[in-house]
Amino acid sequence: MEAFFVQDPSVSTALNELELTRKYIARMNIQGIACIALAVLVFIAGNSFAGVEIGVVLGLCALIPGIVFLSRAGSRSGAYKSGFKQKVIGAALTRMDSSLSMQPDQGIPEHEFVSSRLFVTEPDRYNAEDLVVGKAGKTGFYFSEVHAEYKTEVRTKNGTRTEWHDILSGIVFCADFNKDFRGFTVVRPQDIGSKLGGWFSKHVFSFGSNDVVELENEAFSKLFITHSTDQVEARYILTPALMERICKLNELCAYTVSLSFIDSRMYIAFPLDRNYFEPPVFTSLLKPGILDHDLNILRFMYNIVKDLDLNTRIWTKQ
Amino acid sequence: MLIAGIIAVLVLIFGIGIYNSLINKKNQVTNAFSAIDVMVKKRFDLIPNLVEVVKQYTGHEAGTLEKITELRGRAISPVATEGDKLALDQQIGAAVKGLMVSVENYPELKANTNFLNLQSTWTESEEQIAAARRNYNATVTSYNNAVMQFPGNMFAGMLGYVPMPVLAASEQERANISAKELFNS
Repeated sequence: MEAFFVQDPSVSTALNELELTRKYIARMNIQGIACIALAVLVFIAGNSFAGVEIGVVLGLCALIPGIVFLSRAGSRSGAYKSGFKQKVIGAALTRMDSSLSMQPDQGIPEHEFVSSRLFVTEPDRYNAEDLVVGKAGKTGFYFSEVHAEYKTEVRTKNGTRTEWHDILSGIVFCADFNKDFRGFTVVRPQDIGSKLGGWFSKHVFSFGSNDVVELENEAFSKLFITHSTDQVEARYILTPALMERICKLNELCAYTVSLSFIDSRMYIAFPLDRNYFEPPVFTSLLKPGILDHDLNILRFMYNIVKDLDLNTRIWTKQ
Repeated sequence: MLIAGIIAVLVLIFGIGIYNSLINKKNQVTNAFSAIDVMVKKRFDLIPNLVEVVKQYTGHEAGTLEKITELRGRAISPVATEGDKLALDQQIGAAVKGLMVSVENYPELKANTNFLNLQSTWTESEEQIAAARRNYNATVTSYNNAVMQFPGNMFAGMLGYVPMPVLAASEQERANISAKELFNS
């Protein structure tokens, strides 16, 4: 797909223009870092041979240009990133489907992330960007990169230290579900805690959580634990066919996904190892394969609607 | 002495948990069956409208419509048992599926908004009934496991609880429905 995509005249022109900016930013960064390294060396040498004052003066002589170079790189990098997202990622989206668009500065808001109930833990620090909105057939969807974290306080000799832990670093995808429902159903990866809760729910009802849904698909139940406010509604949503499709979708991911069905919408959280849609600084934009990861993830997200058969609208919800 | 006391209390708590669990599972089976009943009744309520709309546009489906109306009449009669209702619902479902296939021959009916609404409501009710049946089966399986496995079987014997049958899909449900096969028999 990429080779075909970069041959598009508008994309090719944009890439060539952005490449010039990238080279400038890379040069400024290298020069800036070199000057700062030189400043450290000069300060150490000056301090050793001619005293602290001389060391500081000589160090500043190298440090000031370094800061200037880095600030020049910084001043252009914002425009470089947004140019890449709008002209390259935007063009890739339009080529995929004319309804798709990207809003780089926006993302799924924190209150929506919390109300989606994808995760039990509420975030203490939340950042979302690169919102993609559009339709695949009849089904509206959107997704964005999300980094949600919670903090813990660790006691040290000198007091306490704050440690940050990821709730999700990846993409949250939301699509209009093809059936109406009133309650909520969440499908989360199995872990030891949920297995224990499930066992108690199954064998010693009074002590377990009674919202666990025991589904008949063994492969699905091995991967996920399902909770719902309504046992019948959970099965109305999670038909045998949808469970199969979710398992297949999960096979394509490195980490087990989480899903929730709420307000007649479906949310999926994909934990990922990398930050997508960010242009490279020290690698050429014209290098073959450089856009592969971004284009593949876009295609993957777009195909979810088809993979989960969300365009089938034979029920009352149209 | 203290340890023996703690163990006795733990055993007692565990025993109460299992006893309550059995009662809960039995009640869940009853609830799950009620859920099917509610869904089935909702579906029965759709039939008069469906029959009326189809009647306006089709000339050759009178027999099918009469059969559906007759089955509905039997299903909602006060003398029908829960088992009868489920069996009749399966027959009604199969008959309506056949009718939906025949509708292909009536383009005007296929374009009628009322009919399209009824068709999607019917499809939805089918999915809801299927979900309710799956829920019932899951509840019965959970109940049966509790009744048959140790230590639940000890309490089940005392309570007089016995394993219950799950709802199997009918032969008609398993087979692809053909309108001709259904109504020419």
